[in-house]
Amino acid sequence: MGIDPPFGKGLVNVIVEHALHSGGADDIRTTFDIFREIFLVFLVIGTAVGVVVVAYMTYNAYKYRDGNGTADSGDVSRPELGELPSGSGGGKKLFVSFFFSAIIVVSLIGWTYGVLGYYEEGPTEAETDEALEIEVTGYQFGWQFTYPNGHTNSTLVVPQDRPIRLTVTSDDVFHTFGVPEQRVKTDAIPGQTTKTWFVANETGQFEARCYELCGSGHSYMTADVVVVRQSEFHDWYDNRSAAENETQADDDPDTETGTDTEGRLVGVPSVTTPNHATEPTTIEP
Amino acid sequence: MTEDAHAENGHDGLPPQTAVKRWLVTTNHKDVGILYIVTSLFFLVFGGVLALLMRVELWTATQTVIAPGAYNETVSAHGLIMIFFFISPFAFGFANYVVPLQIGAEDLSFPRLNALSYWLYLFSGLLFGTSFFLGGTFSGGWTMYAPLNMPAYTPTVGGTTAVLALMLFVASVTVSSVNFLTTMHRQRAEGLTTLKLPLFSWTILLTVWMMLFAFAALLAALLILASDRIVGTVYFQATEGGSLLWAHLFWFFGHPEVYIVFFPALGIMAECFQTFCGRRIVGRKWFIAAMVLVAIQSFFVWMHHMFLTAISLEIKTLFMATTIGISLPFDLMVFALIYTMVKGKIRYTTPFLFSFGALVLFIIGGITGVFLGAVVLDYEFRGTYWVVAHFHYVMVGGATALFGGLYYWYPKITGRMYDEFLGKVHFVLYFVGFNLLYFPMFVAWETPRRVFEYHQSFVAWHQLASIGGFVLAAGFLVMFYNLYKSLFAGEEVDGNPWEYASSAEWSVSSPPPFENFPGLPSYGDGRLRFLTPGRGGEVADGGTATGDDALDAAADPATESDRPQSDGGTVTAEAARPEIARDETADTALPDAEAEEEHPDHASYWPLAIGLSAYVTFLGLSGIRMDTAMYPALTGVGLVMGAFSFVGLGRESFHVPEMAVAERWPFEGVENGKLGMWIFLASDVVLFGSLIGSYVFIRVAYGWTAWHVVPHDPIPGLINTYLLLTSSFTVVLALVAAKRESTRGLVASLGATVAFGVGFLYNKGIEWQELFHEGTTVGSSVEASTFFLTTGLHAAHVIIGLLIALFMIAQALKGAYLGEEGSRKVEYFGLYWHFVDIVWLFLFPLFYIL
Ligand code: HEM
Ligand SMILES: [Cu+2]
Ligand SMILES: [Cu+2]
Repeated sequence: MGIDPPFGKGLVNVIVEHALHSGGADDIRTTFDIFREIFLVFLVIGTAVGVVVVAYMTYNAYKYRDGNGTADSGDVSRPELGELPSGSGGGKKLFVSFFFSAIIVVSLIGWTYGVLGYYEEGPTEAETDEALEIEVTGYQFGWQFTYPNGHTNSTLVVPQDRPIRLTVTSDDVFHTFGVPEQRVKTDAIPGQTTKTWFVANETGQFEARCYELCGSGHSYMTADVVVVRQSEFHDWYDNRSAAENETQADDDPDTETGTDTEGRLVGVPSVTTPNHATEPTTIEP
Repeated sequence: MTEDAHAENGHDGLPPQTAVKRWLVTTNHKDVGILYIVTSLFFLVFGGVLALLMRVELWTATQTVIAPGAYNETVSAHGLIMIFFFISPFAFGFANYVVPLQIGAEDLSFPRLNALSYWLYLFSGLLFGTSFFLGGTFSGGWTMYAPLNMPAYTPTVGGTTAVLALMLFVASVTVSSVNFLTTMHRQRAEGLTTLKLPLFSWTILLTVWMMLFAFAALLAALLILASDRIVGTVYFQATEGGSLLWAHLFWFFGHPEVYIVFFPALGIMAECFQTFCGRRIVGRKWFIAAMVLVAIQSFFVWMHHMFLTAISLEIKTLFMATTIGISLPFDLMVFALIYTMVKGKIRYTTPFLFSFGALVLFIIGGITGVFLGAVVLDYEFRGTYWVVAHFHYVMVGGATALFGGLYYWYPKITGRMYDEFLGKVHFVLYFVGFNLLYFPMFVAWETPRRVFEYHQSFVAWHQLASIGGFVLAAGFLVMFYNLYKSLFAGEEVDGNPWEYASSAEWSVSSPPPFENFPGLPSYGDGRLRFLTPGRGGEVADGGTATGDDALDAAADPATESDRPQSDGGTVTAEAARPEIARDETADTALPDAEAEEEHPDHASYWPLAIGLSAYVTFLGLSGIRMDTAMYPALTGVGLVMGAFSFVGLGRESFHVPEMAVAERWPFEGVENGKLGMWIFLASDVVLFGSLIGSYVFIRVAYGWTAWHVVPHDPIPGLINTYLLLTSSFTVVLALVAAKRESTRGLVASLGATVAFGVGFLYNKGIEWQELFHEGTTVGSSVEASTFFLTTGLHAAHVIIGLLIALFMIAQALKGAYLGEEGSRKVEYFGLYWHFVDIVWLFLFPLFYIL
């Protein structure tokens, strides 16, 4: 974890990563990039609004404190016991502030709405390589990935720079599939399928995990995600078929699934993680 | 009950407040309010200890002290206890105490039902507590997602007990909503139009309206869930939409619930800002309009909790829009509160500090909520600590204002002032602890929710949060000490300890007299006055101030300087009993009121007895599938106790508060009893609406035409339709007979109604018998489950109706229910019965023909 800033990821990382970001112009726009950009803008504006409003409140609370003299100017009418409730004036100021805050909120959300369509649908075929379609099935407590050729795996092995389209469902209870470093997440609902996508710009090993409480093993319901170069992926994939499916991983939540699969990644050279990966692991031949 | 009896025996035949018995039998809204407050604080401690337990577990990034399954129980129970058993009941403690005082009512419309709400609440909480000892409580999170909530995945008896405890809680809420709505719509002091209600009362009014409908939807969800867990239906485990159905039902309740939790806090903030800034709220009308808008719109945003399910982009867009829409009125309310400080004369008392702090926390919670409103960000935040931090800022932010309310009304309730220094110490520990606890969660937001294992790099932040949790808890020790100590050592206060407080609760002594006001409260000429009702129904102005209360008010310096007539012309404390000042315009007298001279009581054991029976029954039901005789036996005992208690309640003569003159818009022409029945039926409409909606939802998911209609033969259903329609007619005849004072006619018509109802059930029994015979049972398919559950619930309504009818026949034989007044109860029963019949008119085509 040496590359993590002392206090880990979270806000700090988003800002640091934004500053360091060096995505090439020809990259596909990833969900990671979109999220980072929007989050940053929200953070800056949200913090500014919060600071201004709370500061203004505190200033007023201080300025108009009892005994400060400001209060006793005489012309202010004060509530009296037993009066019929009514309001003070000041409606104009109220509406101006309201109007401004509404503009901020609506334009912020409206702006994010512009990318929602893309975020939902992903890049079109014309923009990129053909997408790789993988089915994801959640179960208590693990994940299973089924490739187009029928091969199933407990590690999600995917090629770099190619859209990965996931169709997600569950075998038992409600789970939520997410790969935080790729900013991809969707519900895994029994009897339903949901779709999502991502593009990994960097190779490395990441973690997929469950985001909906699903039983006692929920905390441990993870799977490895390995992003490799396209050529390596082909080597790996072409040697897989439905016939040599591994059996569904056992239910022991403590079992680290995935090592077996990594072992099969014959001929894959070492991959180091980019700075937003979980573990700077190396995939041994 | 005569005036002297009130004065000398103290409290209308109730034992003194120092006696335990008093608290078991009381029906007075102020007593019930205190019971609510004390009980909810107990649950705060309960939920808080669970929270601290989690914070201890989260001290390190790996599992240490709590076993995985136990952690899930802890997180679920913490959420459920805080939301259901702490925060709303705490707010309703104040509502019980303060709202009748603010609106000028002597008590709630149905005092015994109010006590019943309390006992149902207490016993539901106890039942929830019991669930820990029955193999472990429910462990599927407070959102109870399906199908994890099915016995296949959460098999403990305690899990079922917890679900039933929630059902009991919903019963309490429904009874209480009906009561508050009737009271607030029909018992406001003259001149106190709806728009003029004090803001705390306004927030409670909107809260109860939301509760009435939202909790009915929750009840539908819980009924199906309980039936799946106990009877063996297969609703939520149906792969055809069962899982999503739960999410829809739950969040249809769940989002309004957010405002149900928050509105009372908003009301307290508004009251405290007005009082301690010495300024009337800025833009009061807009503030109210904004709240009304939120209350309505809260029912149209629920799918923003489901953005990650397979809903289409169009629906996401729609719900994103409604979600932003609902956030805007809050901006307005926040600014209104802030501008109220301008030109104020602000005193930093403990209640003000808590209200101010609550506003700061709410602003942070609101801003971080806008993040969640952006769907693209929500995708990533879902299921993480961002959500945990956000909803704690909003909800515990709301609770902050409620603690302010506790200090604000403490002198009113106890007659003594709390210790201001300790109050401030509490505030500092609270505010620092709070931010230390929850702010780090924003930073460590990538931690998934409801886990006890998280990434190493977040450890420092979680440790900060845990420290914050203990600082917050230390603040509560100070609070409890303060409240306890001040009960004996606090400085005694008169009616109004706060300069610039304006609502009516401050115009009477602290604590207020049993009947609240020294006369009939009226704002008829723009100011609160207490009128002395004369005999002939004309309401005379009392000229002198003889009561302590008036003196209190007169002694208040603010009142003295600002009100020329404060020498007693305004606030009068002449002998006054609003309930005997009945004139022609007061069309509201209930039969019981005639018994005035027979000293109808303010005390009743029956609400407690009903609560206890419900506890025993539900405890028995939760394990009824187990292989022991104990659970069925418990169920049976509980049912017998319940029947006995209900009959006892029905036969008791009881004091019913009435107001001679009151604002009743828009229900001038409807008596309290009828309005109560209407409101109850409105919630029942939502209950059946949700069940029918669930059926349609599942059927669409299944394929509308692929669905098998369960009864092969619509004829028994058709016959039943005729039977019910005829019975509706006989109920009308019963009412006519009662009005004509014909006991024979009344008994005969009610008897015929019962006969038709029994016929209906008999016919249904045969039909079900045949289906069972063929192997179609409740659990054999989702089609069968929907059929048996929905029509079964309707049959349960018929059975309850029949029991009421039998009870009424017994009473009628003794000569009850005659005449214009007496027949009212027959009319209310008729409303219920017609409703049950109308429901059948929907069920029949849906389940037999389509
Ligand atoms: C009025 C007070 C509070 C309310 C209404 C409240 C409400 C909730 C709710 C609804 C949940 C979600 C439970 C679930 O996911 O099923 C929750 C979770 C949690 N709360 Fe509270 N809470 C309150 C006070 C506290 C306090 C004082 C602490 C800490 C000392 C705390 C710590 C936690 C923790 C650690 C979680 C688990 C978060 C997760 O893993 O999802 N809460 N709370
Ligand atoms: Cu999970
Ligand atoms: Cu919501």
